[in-house]
Amino acid sequence: MKQVKKVFGLLTATALVAAMAGCGSANNNASGSSAGSASAPTPAAGSAAPAKEKLKKISIFQSKVEITDALEALAKKYTAETGNEVEVWGAAGDAYMTQLQAKLTANQGPTVFSVGTGAQADKLKSYLYDLGNEPFTKNIAPHMELKEDGKVVGVPYGVEGFGLVYNKDLVDPKNVTDLASFTKTMEKLKADGKNPLSLSQEAFFLIGHILNTPFALQPDPKAFIDKLNKGEVKMADTKEFQEFGKFMDVIKANSKNPMEVKYDSQMGDFATGKTAMVHQGNWSYSMLKDFGNMDAKIGMMPFPLAGNNKIAVGVASNWVINSKASPDEIKAGEAFLNWLFTSDTGKNAIVNDFKFIPAMTNIEATKLDPLSKAVYDATKSGQTIPWATAYYPSNIVVNDLAPVAQAYFLDKNMTGQQLLEKLDAAWAKAAK
Amino acid sequence: MNKTKDRAWFALFTVPLIFIFTTVVIIPFIIGIYYSFVKWDGIPANPKVFVGFDNYVQIFKDERFLASAWHTVKFTVLALLSVNVLGLVFSLLVTAKLRVSNAARTMFFMPNLIGGLILGYIWQFLFTDAMEFIGSKTGLGHIFFNWLLSPQFALYAMVVVFTWQMAGYTMIIYIAGIQGIPDEMMEAAKVDGANLWQRITKIIFPLLMPAFTICLFMTLSGAFKIYDVNLSLTKGGPNNATEMFAMNIFNEIFGYGHYGLGQAKAIVFFIIVAVLTLTQVAITKKREVQM
Repeated sequence: MKQVKKVFGLLTATALVAAMAGCGSANNNASGSSAGSASAPTPAAGSAAPAKEKLKKISIFQSKVEITDALEALAKKYTAETGNEVEVWGAAGDAYMTQLQAKLTANQGPTVFSVGTGAQADKLKSYLYDLGNEPFTKNIAPHMELKEDGKVVGVPYGVEGFGLVYNKDLVDPKNVTDLASFTKTMEKLKADGKNPLSLSQEAFFLIGHILNTPFALQPDPKAFIDKLNKGEVKMADTKEFQEFGKFMDVIKANSKNPMEVKYDSQMGDFATGKTAMVHQGNWSYSMLKDFGNMDAKIGMMPFPLAGNNKIAVGVASNWVINSKASPDEIKAGEAFLNWLFTSDTGKNAIVNDFKFIPAMTNIEATKLDPLSKAVYDATKSGQTIPWATAYYPSNIVVNDLAPVAQAYFLDKNMTGQQLLEKLDAAWAKAAK
Repeated sequence: MNKTKDRAWFALFTVPLIFIFTTVVIIPFIIGIYYSFVKWDGIPANPKVFVGFDNYVQIFKDERFLASAWHTVKFTVLALLSVNVLGLVFSLLVTAKLRVSNAARTMFFMPNLIGGLILGYIWQFLFTDAMEFIGSKTGLGHIFFNWLLSPQFALYAMVVVFTWQMAGYTMIIYIAGIQGIPDEMMEAAKVDGANLWQRITKIIFPLLMPAFTICLFMTLSGAFKIYDVNLSLTKGGPNNATEMFAMNIFNEIFGYGHYGLGQAKAIVFFIIVAVLTLTQVAITKKREVQM
């Protein structure tokens, strides 16, 4: 029996060590950043940085997975040009808001981060630093700045647009203009052995974006959402949504189950010609370019709900500064954003590395990829519908709408109309 | 003199631990109890409104929470059985003096060295691609399909992954227990004519009771509190069919921004886990025998 106890003792000890190792690494992170910030403010430690005062090290946390690599590269260039340090935290995709909130609440928030226009920004209002005095905010294109209580608090990443991204060899936009022609095209593609239209399992790509179209086609989307929140209207009773239900039925009947598709496999199958259309935005080009040059083959067209002939364009994310960061960090954050939007390296990175369609008057959009060009052209000619998604109750797509959409795509017998009723129920719960 | 020296030693070893335990467990726990009585969205600048027991009342009206409680119970029961049965079988196998027993022991334990998150991603690939491939090659499509897409089978998938992760660990504990049983006793039993089944049920199991206590406790609390495998394998989907307790609490707090309500859930969760594990330890402890 003694031997047994000994072994147990050993096991317990191992468990303790493991637990401590776990805590240890967490501590290291925290102490790492605090050590960094503690040593930074002493001006120009050592011989480096002759004239300029070295600014505090800042951290950046943002939601776009696509630009993570480019942003890290840019941070290195920033350090090389100015001597100031920037730490880029990995992007979190769907989990961004929850992680950001957890970090902010724990007072370990990033210095510079991104928020979505609308409900997201409203929620984090108390964390948004007033950027009104920054020189670069003068260059933001009209009506594109993020404002809270009349103050400019955020600089747009750029404009973005989504619709049906299609393969020109397989689909002719002339054959996708309303429900009847859409159905016909879908059935024909399916008969040819192609996956006609692919959604993917991520919450926004499954339901969030595609559901925008019926909202955006309302005379006043924002007022409609307000009424929906109060329960005065129902999606299931609204004409555009009823047609949306029919579109979803056509998609479910003819396409590969989106629950089996991930963003990368969605774009991979599209790039290799197995899928004819995807409901995606111009951001997806950065995934496509890994498969070789196909600029001549791809285009973006409107999702033809109720004869809609405009693509959805809006500002998805804005750079903001954490007002609860220390004054030194805020100063360093301002310097970084200023550099990003005024220096040639920064401007170049926004257009060529991030592949953003600039929403700044001092940045020229040249050499746009075909998807961005479609968005850019639509923006210039005003042929756009708005992003109603920004006014959805905060986090509703991930929390409430996605589970309903999952159920819809997994249950063969559920109809589009039932989907709408379930969405109504989920909405009512979330808007409470 | 000697006594003060003893005290000093005692303090040297306990005070740091007590300090850490107080600051990272006790104090947050008490703050958590306070939060469970307020309505708050988790943003420090916004007001905390005292609502009394409202949050606790709401919990029992929350269908999603009750559903997730039921999933957790199902998962825990299945995981408890499969982990311990497999762990025990493995330990009996590798102590049976086979030539490959050392290699087998290492292999069985290996999955435990991989973190739960990574295991989840590996198995996600296995369930999505490999299972479907096998299904299409063998024609057994009704067994080999993507389990993660079926609300019912996604839960079984989690049991499989959790078992894969934990069975090796419990095996080690059972091995330790089995090796503690003296050979003379087994030989005496053999000479007296006890067959293998009698030796296992009458000698090994009773003497293994301390190991059972530990293994059951670890799998019970581990399965109840599972989050990492849940997150990486299913994210609680499809349609929230595999949303476990811990994930439901996380979503309530950080997804919906209901800090108070989520905290109330966490307190209820704590009480349930504490009651269950203490009961289990009390029951199995009673059955432990001394040689």
